[in-house]
Amino acid sequence: MATATYPPPPPYYRLYKDYSQDPKSAPEPPPPIEGTYVCFGATYTTDDTLPCLEEQGVRQLYPKGPDVDYKKELRSLNGDLQLHILELADVLIERPSQYARRVEEISLVFKNLHHLLNSLRPHQARATLIHILELQIQRRKQAVEDIKRRREEARRLLDEALKTTDGN
Amino acid sequence: MDIISQLQEQVNLIAHLAFNTIGTLQRDAPPNRLSPNYPEPPAHPTEDAANFAEQPKIMSAALVKAAKQFDALVAALPISEGGEEAQLKRITELQAENDMIGQELQKQLEAAERELNQVQELYRQASDNCLNLKKPE
Repeated sequence: MATATYPPPPPYYRLYKDYSQDPKSAPEPPPPIEGTYVCFGATYTTDDTLPCLEEQGVRQLYPKGPDVDYKKELRSLNGDLQLHILELADVLIERPSQYARRVEEISLVFKNLHHLLNSLRPHQARATLIHILELQIQRRKQAVEDIKRRREEARRLLDEALKTTDGN
Repeated sequence: MDIISQLQEQVNLIAHLAFNTIGTLQRDAPPNRLSPNYPEPPAHPTEDAANFAEQPKIMSAALVKAAKQFDALVAALPISEGGEEAQLKRITELQAENDMIGQELQKQLEAAERELNQVQELYRQASDNCLNLKKPE
């Protein structure tokens, strides 16, 4: 059985021979990649956003626009879902061969629900950041108060010590 | 678990219950009479009849309960005010305040460090004097 050895390390190390004497004689590290790149045959992107539903070929049931009222839309999608389930049950009773379209509609509602929930994640991330910043500010204020108090205490003790020693 | 993950879990649960309900009913339903021309199909008196009437009720109750819980979770979503810009504005305000407090903290720390050094110097001198006074014997 033939075993392959590991590939040799890349030959760039020769370029860094004089790095300790002259840091500028060797090449700079490559700049960070922007956009898309290929890694082990697969394409990846550095721009991580949630693709909108049309890009995935799914019809969007809730109204588009900059500000979506998440609670209202989630509730109405939930109601739609229950209606579609009832419709599926009805179709199975009356015309059982037409189930496919109903099942498709149900899965459409589910996809919309999940997409809406995923689009809440950036909002959640920003809210988490706000919360962390507030906590940090509170801790720093507390630390400033503590230090002030301790300095006052130390100064008071010093003054008392001076008074007692001067009394002698 | 955070509320959005709970909502996602609830959606998956509703899907699970819905397809279980429909699937179980479809699999276990007793045969139905199609048209007046054909005779009544032979009924299966043994296993299903008793539990079978209960199952749709139990399963649909579970489905509706899950949907109500989803609504309750949606009502508990802490989405305040409007949008991305308000949040970003708040973040910049908080960062500015954080920087200010950070500088204040730095100043206090430096002052406290200086006073600490002064006190240590005083102690050194006092202890030196004490030691020197004891020397003559």
